[in-house]
Formats: sequence, C-alpha cells, structure tokens
Amino acid sequence: MDADSDVALDILITNVVCVFRTRCHLNLRKIALEGANVIYKRDVGKVLMKLRKPRITATIWSSGKVICTGATSEEEAKFGARRLARSLQKLGFQVILMKKDLHDSSNANFKVVNVLAVCNMPFEIRLPEFTKNNRPHASYEPELHPAVCYRIKSLRATLQIFSTGSITVTGPNVKAVASAVEQIYPFVFESRK
Amino acid sequence: MPGGRVCGACGCAEIEVDAARGDAVCTGCGSVLEDNIIVSEVQFVENSGGGSSAVGQFVSLDGAGKTPTLGGGFHANLGKESRAKTLQNGKRQIHHLGNQLQLNQHCLDTAFNFFKMAVSKHLTRGRKRTHVIAACLYLVCRTEGTPHMLLDLSDLLQVNVYVLGKTFLVLARELCINAPAIDPCLYIPRFAHMLEFGDKNHEVSMTALRLLQRMKRDWMHTGRRPSGLCGAALLVAARMHDFRRTVKEVIRVVKVCESTLRKRLTEFQDTPTSQLTIDEFMKIDLEEECDPPSFTAGQKKLKIQQLEKALSKKLEDFEGEISSYQDEIESELENSRPKAKGVFANFTKDDSIEDNASSIFGEEEAEDEELEAAANHLNKDFYDELNEKDRGKRNEDGECRNGSETLVRPPALESLLGPLPTAASLGITESIKECISTKDQEPGENTGDGELDLSGIDDNEIDRYILNEAEAQIKAELWMKENADYLKEQKEKEARIAKEKELGIYKEHKPKKSAKKREPIQASTAGEAIEKMLEQKKISSKINYNVLRDLNSKGSNTPKKEDDSTDDSTNTKKLSRRKSIASRNIANPVNSVGKRLRPLISTQFAKKAATEEVTFPNTQAEASDVEKPAAVLVESGPVAYNPDEEVEEEEVEEDEDHCMSALQLMGGN
Repeated sequence: MDADSDVALDILITNVVCVFRTRCHLNLRKIALEGANVIYKRDVGKVLMKLRKPRITATIWSSGKVICTGATSEEEAKFGARRLARSLQKLGFQVILMKKDLHDSSNANFKVVNVLAVCNMPFEIRLPEFTKNNRPHASYEPELHPAVCYRIKSLRATLQIFSTGSITVTGPNVKAVASAVEQIYPFVFESRK
Repeated sequence: MPGGRVCGACGCAEIEVDAARGDAVCTGCGSVLEDNIIVSEVQFVENSGGGSSAVGQFVSLDGAGKTPTLGGGFHANLGKESRAKTLQNGKRQIHHLGNQLQLNQHCLDTAFNFFKMAVSKHLTRGRKRTHVIAACLYLVCRTEGTPHMLLDLSDLLQVNVYVLGKTFLVLARELCINAPAIDPCLYIPRFAHMLEFGDKNHEVSMTALRLLQRMKRDWMHTGRRPSGLCGAALLVAARMHDFRRTVKEVIRVVKVCESTLRKRLTEFQDTPTSQLTIDEFMKIDLEEECDPPSFTAGQKKLKIQQLEKALSKKLEDFEGEISSYQDEIESELENSRPKAKGVFANFTKDDSIEDNASSIFGEEEAEDEELEAAANHLNKDFYDELNEKDRGKRNEDGECRNGSETLVRPPALESLLGPLPTAASLGITESIKECISTKDQEPGENTGDGELDLSGIDDNEIDRYILNEAEAQIKAELWMKENADYLKEQKEKEARIAKEKELGIYKEHKPKKSAKKREPIQASTAGEAIEKMLEQKKISSKINYNVLRDLNSKGSNTPKKEDDSTDDSTNTKKLSRRKSIASRNIANPVNSVGKRLRPLISTQFAKKAATEEVTFPNTQAEASDVEKPAAVLVESGPVAYNPDEEVEEEEVEEDEDHCMSALQLMGGN
C-alpha cells in the first residue's frame, strides 16, 4: 500500500461483480411482466434487469440470488444492489435489506465477488523472458492468447500481462487488485524492454 | 501364519518345505503346515527338434491384459483391471494419433508416461480422453521441440483449438512441466518443405530465418502466433529468391488468415529493415530496435487525443469572443424557428450552455445526453429535428468536433443496450417521456447519495420501472413472439411425454443423482447399529438377512456364541484366518461373501457369530471343500468350538432344507 506513492500508476477499475441475496423466493414471470427494463430468459431460468443510474446489469434467479455486474466501484455496486432490492420490493416481494457496513464481509446478503481493473505500465515487456523468470506462476501460450497469464495464489488474483505494458487484473476485491499490481511491478520491471 | 518357522502343534522349528510338491511339513510331529503353496519351479518341455524350452508365458509390463487373473472377480483385482484397461486404451490411442503426426517411438513412449501420470492424478476425470491424449502428445512435441502445432492436433481431432489448449494448460500445470516457449524458427523447415522450393529450399529457409530474427528484434513476435510470423517471413523470402508463392498458397500451408498475413507484412514494412535491398539485408544488421506494432498504434491514438485536446483548448480561447455573438444568434434563431415540444426544448438549451462548461456539470450532462440518446432512439423524428438545430448552432460556433461527437454518442448507447424494441411498438412512449421529464428535474438528488439505505433511492423513479397492466400485456405478447421457438419445444416435449405415458414406455430421464443420502443410523447397541447398517447397505445377496435378524433376536444360541467368541480372542482370530483360507480355496460364489465378510469379521465381534453361521450354509454347497476346512477346524481347532459346531451344523441343516423355516422360526418366536 505504501509503495503506491512511488509508483504512481493509475489503476482503473472497469468492472465490479457482486452477489446479492433476497431472502425470499422470486416469481420471475411477475418481474418479467411488470418490469420495464428486463429481459426474461426462460430457457435458463433467469431475468436480466438493467439499471441506468449506476450502470448495472443484474441477473435474477427465482431462488432469490441476484448477481450485479457492470459497476465501476464497490460503493456503486452496493448502491445499485440496494436500488435493485428496492425495485423488487415495489414489485411486491418481501426483500430484506440489511443496513450493514460495506466492508463487513460477514454480511451474507451482499458480497463483492470479482473486481476487474486495468493498469498501464510506461514501458513494454518482454514476455518470453518474463515467463522464464516466473516459471510456476506465469503461463504463456502465444498460439492461444497474446498475453501472459500470471496467478497469485495468496491473493487469488489473476493478471494478464501484454507486451505493450498494459495489465488486466482480476481479483476478489479492490485491495487485492491493488496489492497484486504492486507485487507484479518489480517482476515486470525486470523484464522491461 | 508362521508356517516357515515354528510348528503349531509341537513347537519345533524344523520345517521342511518341498517346492516341487508344494508342502511345508514339520519334521518333529509330521503335521502338514502348508499345502498347495504356489510352486515357483521352472519346468521344461521337449520340443519337436529334441531341444527343451521353458514352460511359461510372456506377460506384458503394463498389466494383466488378456491373461485371466487367478481366482478372478475379486474387487481388489477388478479395480486394478480397470486401471490397466484405461492405460491400455490410452496407449493405443496415443500410438494411433502419434503415427498420424509421424512422431518417433521415443516421443510416443514419453507421451504415454505423461498419460500415466495424468491418470494417477485423476486428470482424465471429467475430460474427454481424446483431449487428454492430445494434450499429452502436444506436451511431448513441445518438450522435444518438434515442429507440431496445436492446430495440427485440433485438425486431426476436429476439436476447437482453445479447448485443447485449455486441457493442455491444465495438464502442464498439474504435472509441473514447463514447456519451453515456441520458437517460430522451428516451423520454418516444415513450412518450407510444404511450399516446395525444390533445390533452393535450404537457401530460402535461411533467408526466412534471418527475417524472423529481424522480426524478433523489432518486437513483432511477442504475443503473436508463431505460424503467422513464419508465413510472412517465408513469403518475403520466397519473393526474394524469385519464387512465386501467392498469399493463398502460403495461407493454406501456414493456417492463418489472409488479413493476419497482410498485417504482418505491413508491420514489417514499417520497420527500417524493409528499406534495405536484398543484398544489404543479407549482409547488414541494423542496430536499432523497433517498438512493437501494437505499442506504436497505441501511441498514435494517444497523439491524436492530445491533438484534439490542444485544439479544444485553442478553441476555448476564442470562445470568449464568440459566445457573445452566439447568444445573439441563438435568440434570433429561436424566434424564427418553430418551437420543439416542451421536453426537448429544455435539452437544446441545456446542451448549448453546458457544452462550454462541461467539466462542472459533467455528470448531469452525461445523464441528459444518455437520456437524450435513449429518447432519440425511441423517437426518431424528434431526434432529427434536434440534430438539425444542433448542427446549425455548432456550425456557427465552429466546433464541428462536438457535432460529430453527439452523432457518435447515441449509436454507442444503442450498441450497448442492444436492439431495443421501439417505444411505439411497446406502447410506452408516454411513460418514457414522463420518466425523462421527471429525471430532468431532479438529477441532483440521486447522485452522491449512497450512504443511507432508502433515502437516496427515489421511489418515484423506481415506480417507473414497473409497467401497468396494459403495458404488461403488450410486453408479454412481445416476449411470447420472440421466444416462440423455445415454447414450441417445450410443448412438443410435453406432448411426447404424455404419449409415452399412455403407451407405458415413459422413462423419466432424470439427471443423475449423486449417492443417495441415507439417514444416520440411530441405535442403542453396537449390535443394533450393525444390523441396521447391514439392512441398509444390503451388501450381499447370498446372506439371508432374515436369518441374521433372527439370530440376534433369538435368545438361546447367540449369547453362547458371543460368549465363546469373546472369551477366546485368539480362537476367533484363528477362526477368522481359517475362514479366510477356506474362502480363498473355494470357488467364485463364496468368495464374494468371504471378501465382504472379512472386514466384518475383523472389526465386529458381535456379528462374528452370525457371519460364521452364514459362511457355513454357503460352504455346505461345496461339500468336499468344506470338509477340509471343517476337518481342519475340528482337528486343530480349540476345544470350545466343538459344541458350537454341532449346534451350528444343526442350524445349518435346518437352514439349508427350508429357508422358510427360519422365517417361520422368526414368526414363531
């Protein structure tokens, strides 16, 4: 966290995925009929509801599980999820909203599952060299994908490193993503052009 | 059993083992300790020519294969058989595929080793065996450095390359094998051969290699498919040596797309090396290195953006002057033109003002523009009008950039949300207009409010999300139309099921359920628990469960047996051993029982009596064999067992004669 000031890289969060549970059974047909911005996929058994305000797409199952994608920050994701819950309430379902702290992970109702961020290094990277130096963690298959896939098990984060220096990071929360970028920076710096 | 050391009867340690007869006899008391040991003598047989050859069969290293196992059908052996079968099948498939790829024997053996490792790590579970085998082969190709591409394998198997690639990655990771990176230079001889350069093959290859090395230095090769680079290098090399190879021919050999090849060629064109003549290229190597092409493309974009910014800044400088003129002109225009409907007049005013001060009202403008875009999509006539007005104003301002941007933004939204059904068809034009107007009035409230639970969420807005009845109906119709195919399928399926039910053939194809969840057994004593477990599990069909139940419920016999069995722990052990020997000696039907009973015997004392009962009725079937163990028991068995035996035999007879008698006994008691 402290090393961030030295590096001064801007990490842009492009997508935050979160899971949300309404503790009640939802009638998808009703939602599909009465919602103005929903897509009903009967063959897979889910409803897609798109919100405009925080630009969010929510996938709703009849069991009450809801997955929200498309938010650009954790707060936004939470905000969108609450909005969604409110609209479901208006439709007549007994949705339980809990007023808990965002960072309280014991809140079983709402959880941020995945965060996708993009970061740009000011230099290019030699991928074959990088792969050789980071053997177990990095895997590079030019026939399949032009980037090196680097996994950090401790953070459960995956980084895709391109030769142009742009790095795509996915992780369970924003902190993990930030620390992943910091961890990878020295390695990438070694194999720079 | 210490047959080789100490005699059980007399205790002397002199035991003679005769390998030929297969006996172990005590020289002190003369008792036979072992009988029918497996003889490991080598026997010779005379040939027709007079020579002698050893008797025996060659057994393959990989497993039982075709030779029947001794005693056959054991569960332990069955598991092994299956594994051997898997490996055999795998080997066969590897050889089949490998021969198509012209891999040598060493490679195939290595691949088979990989496959064995994969099987032992359970990597074949849940994956198609062909995929795993292809991955093993490709791994070998990589480690050996043969010029085989994953594409070749996928061609042979008609499988998607990425699927194979995924399996390959998993395999490499699990087996901790680091496949060295592909060098495009490896492919050149192969492709050159396919392109048929005749005598000059070698020269062309060398030229192509040099080109490739140059490309590597110029950063064209990172993140690119090696085959594409090879193709480009070979094409240029061929041309350099006066061979006419068209792009199509090269593509067929190299298996990339035409556009990819062209792109590589243009990238190479951009490098300074392309400016050299052929002779110069062969002699000189330029020192400088280039940036990778994607990097340069990115840089170009950045430059364009910077230019735009600079331009806008300059324009802003002039805006101060122009704005005054702008206001005048605007007012005149409004007076002269027909007024737009209420909603969009707001828009036009807002837009023109906010253009210049975009940073402050950034969010609102974004919102309005989004809404504008959405509304535009739904009401295209309004949009056109608006556009004209905007264009008129913008032209006067001199900011053509903005005009193009607004044109760009609405379509972008369309692409985001996909093809929306138009408002007219949905009949919700009115409600959308309302929605937009209310939003317009209260944009400030909703932004930034996220801390409190419900206060930030505008109920009215959410109400808009809910359609009323008429709208709901229309929407339902629309959905029905769209998903007509799926609904048809469902109906057909139901009809089919109904028909089958009538005919009585109906099979419910339910998804496979995992192992049945059994309720935990609740019993007061160990005996009860075992009984219940046996009932539930139904281990063997040869055990008459009724009798088992009966045994424990009957008061007289069981306590005696249980006492006897618990008194002499050594005796029971001997008995169990003897039983295991007996069961080993006897043919198939008994063995399944014997094997299953072995764990029972070893762990549960209480059931021992019952199981002993059980083996005896079964062993009675094989009369002669049983005599031996029975005889063994009688001879050297503990004295305590004799009365038990008699009793058991009685019971056994009863059981044999009338199976029902046991039931009757149960019923009677």
